[in-house]
Parts: sequence; structure tokens; C-alpha cells
Amino acid sequence: MITASIELRQVEVVFPVYNAASLSLKNRLLSAVTGGKIDRQHDGAIIVKGLQDINIMINPGERVGLLGHNGAGKTTLLRVLSGIYQPTQGTAQINGECVSLINIGLGIDPEATGRENILLRGVMMGMRPSAIKAMSEEIIDFTGLGDFIDLPFRTYSTGMQLRLAFAVSTAVRPQILVMDEWLSTGDEEFKERADRRMTDVVSAAEILILASHSRELLLNNCNRLIWLEHGKIRMDGKPEEVLKQYFGH
Amino acid sequence: MVEIMTNPPTLIIEAGRTERHYWTDLWRYRELFYFLAWRDVLVRYKQTVLGVAWAVIRPFLTMVVFTLVFGTLANLPSENAPYPILVFAALLPWQLFSSGFSEAGNSLISNANMISKVYFPRLIVPVSAIIVSLVDFMISAFILAALLVWYGFMPDLRILTLPLFVMMAVLTAMGAGFWTAALSVKYRDFRFIVPFGVQLGLYISPVGFSSAVVPEQWRMLYSLNPMVGVIDGFRWAILGGNVTLHWNGLILSLFVSTLLLSTGVMYFRKLENSFADVI
Repeated sequence: MITASIELRQVEVVFPVYNAASLSLKNRLLSAVTGGKIDRQHDGAIIVKGLQDINIMINPGERVGLLGHNGAGKTTLLRVLSGIYQPTQGTAQINGECVSLINIGLGIDPEATGRENILLRGVMMGMRPSAIKAMSEEIIDFTGLGDFIDLPFRTYSTGMQLRLAFAVSTAVRPQILVMDEWLSTGDEEFKERADRRMTDVVSAAEILILASHSRELLLNNCNRLIWLEHGKIRMDGKPEEVLKQYFGH
Repeated sequence: MVEIMTNPPTLIIEAGRTERHYWTDLWRYRELFYFLAWRDVLVRYKQTVLGVAWAVIRPFLTMVVFTLVFGTLANLPSENAPYPILVFAALLPWQLFSSGFSEAGNSLISNANMISKVYFPRLIVPVSAIIVSLVDFMISAFILAALLVWYGFMPDLRILTLPLFVMMAVLTAMGAGFWTAALSVKYRDFRFIVPFGVQLGLYISPVGFSSAVVPEQWRMLYSLNPMVGVIDGFRWAILGGNVTLHWNGLILSLFVSTLLLSTGVMYFRKLENSFADVI
């Protein structure tokens, strides 16, 4: 197994922001037919720079917290790290198994049963079907869903749905873990078990990337903080120092 | 340690990834593909009372109506085969194409949340949507078998070529589906265009009648519709001896569907990177 590491070189992400008008075929045709005379916006899109000039090297053992105001580029950076956004400039190299807990319900289908959803959710996270099958008894145990596991997901209460999504999503111990805020779920009894499991997953990961607004969470879990502002790195360093600057400014 | 994850141990994402990279990724994500297809098949009939029976009822009733309208009322020629078999041999590929095409066309929009949140080659989505139609097709194929037995109609060896025409129908559905899937992310108008196109296509294509009723001088023009080649091929393979295949027409249809598929893949790939932003 290779050691986990992440290297971002000169990463830039720009994206066009579309509005309803630019998504209309009528406007497009109108503009084509009239030779561009009736063209409400030039191709309809405004270009936004999501990230600019990002250079980050992350080594094993690092627990990196991302902070910044809304729209500073935290989520965009997480998406680059998970491979959803292709940088418009530069390179992102991610070594090691990477799992994102940004959206723990992703892949779940309301019509499928709990048992089927364990497979669907697991595959969506990039797990091998045989590995999921081997883990599914443990997962079902953890959810405490009992016979409900063979009923369609849509019949579950909100709490039960969360428990299932949580249990599958935290069943693996990836080398690189990407999270947007801490996962917390359900009632008191389950919350306690869930927190313990979360801590397990986090401490097993060689690299943690955690985006958060919470000072406490960042201080407790991270040994390095990156402060993003307007898509650029404003500061990168020890948690105490960055937090002092960030909350002090 | 047991292999748990399917994703690559090393992922390099850079501006303007190479084409070769894309196709290896496509192979790497094959398990996701199986499961998307499995989910679609699983969920498809779950909420309906009659379940899988719908895959039988719909084409059967369409066949009855078409036989009455085109065969009995309009009295069109039947190539010496029972009219229901003539119709059904065409309905099978038509339904495979039309449902595959519409499912593929809608697939990106209906999986929008997935597309904006995980990376995988997006071509997986429309292709897996077509798999459901292929399952429906296999179920409906039993009606054809039943009809053949009922009328005591024995196909000859040509039936062995049928898989080729099935493939041609699937490739045509893919080509058209890639185009509309990509276009409908960009222009939501396609939500209305696709069902309308499918409805028109049913009457433009030789489903209710044999394409032999089309005057000879128009046959080539008619074959520009790739489904004409597919349907003629199905009839030629199933109805046996009496049917002659319009070879030039078939080759033209095959050419059009190959063109559709290759341009469809190219257009899809061109827009693919922007899907996550637009959707």
C-alpha cells in the first residue's frame, strides 16, 4: 500500500455561472437566427474564479482544517480533492484511498430496501461489492434497524434513514478522509456510539481534510489550518496562530 | 489487506486530461456501472402493482391496436407472415430504442445530485439507463416466441443474425441518448422535445407497416432514419424466406447510426466537464 499524500500545484478553478436565460434554447436560437443581434448576455454566463493559485502539499499524519467565510472556496477545494472538479489550470495529485463524507446519503435510493442501499451507498463510495457484503452484517448491527433492514428506505423515519447512511459511510477506514463539518446524528443513545465510530474513522485516516466554521472542532481535530479567502490561500500554519488571526481580524 | 476500494490508489487530476485516461477510468468504474444499472432495474417496477408484467402488457396491446389499424382496417400487405408477427417483429426493436433513448436522455437530469458530488466518467449514466430497456426487451421477446408458436410460424436460420440487429438498436439508442442527455443538461427544452420526437418516430418508422410499402425511389431517403435499417433487419431475421432486405438502405442506416454514436460521444465528452456546474 502506498503512503497517502496530496499535492496541489498551481490549481485554479473557474466556472461559469448559468442562469435560467442562458439555459434556454429559445434565446440561443434567437441569437443564432438574428446573427447575435438579440443576445441578452454574451453566452449568458458570468465567470467566477473559485480557486486561484493554490499550492498545497499534504503529508501523512496531517490533519488539515479549512476555514474561511462562505464563498471563500472551501467546498470547491474539497470538490477538487474528491475529483469532482477538474482544475482549469494546474495539477492535483492524490495518492491513497480517498473517501468523502461530504454527502453521506449519496447513492441511496428511496425505493430500495435498507440492505440493497448498503450496497448502493458502498459502491458509490468506491468500495468493492464483495467487501461491502462482508461488512454488511456489522453495518446492520450498528444501525440497530432490526427487521426494518428489509423494508424500502422510504418507509424509514428520518432518524433511521440517517443511521443507515451514517453506518455505511463510516464502515471503511480510508487513508484520506474528506469532511465538511462533523457528522452528527440522531438520538442521544445513537449519537454516543456514532461519535465513537467517527473518532475511530478519523484517527485511522492518515490524512484528514476537514472544512468547518467551528473553532472548537478545528482546534480539537487539526494540526494544520488553511485559511481561504476569495479563492486564495490567506494563511497556512499552526491552528493556534491561524485561529488567532482569523477570529481576531 | 483485502482490496476494499475500487478507486485508483493514485488520482491525478489536471487541466485537460488526456483521452486515454478517460477510457481507462471508464473501465475502472465498471462496478459503479453495474450497480447503477442494477438499481434502475430494481426500482423500475417496484412501485407498480403489476410489476414486470408491464413489460409484457404494453407491447402486446400496442401490437393488437396496430394489427387492427394497419392490418385489418388499412389492409396493408404483410410479407406473407401473420400481421401480428410482422408488427411485433418491429415493435420489439422500436420499444428497445425509444425507451432506451428517452431513459438515457433523462438520465443525467435524474441523477443530478450524484453528478455534482462524486467523480466518475459521466458516460456511465446514460449507458446504464439503457440496460433497463434491454431487460424489458428480453422480457417482451417472450411474447414474440409465444406468437411464433401460436401461429405455428417457424423462423429459419436467419434468426441467428438477430443479436447483430439488437446491437444496432442499442447503439442507435446510445448515440441519440448521448446527444440528448448532454443537450438536456444545457437546454431544459429537451424534456419536451424527446417525448414528442419518440411519438413522431413511431409513425415515421415502419412499425405498423412493412417498409416495402414505401415507393422504391424513396427507399434510400427513408433509410436515413437509422431505425428503418434496424426494423427491416429484425423482420428479415425473424420472418425468414419471404422478406428481402434492402441492403443499400441497411448500409445507409448503419452509417447514420454510427455517425450518431460517434458524434454523440464527442459532444458528450465536450460538455462533460461542465455538467457538475450546470446541473
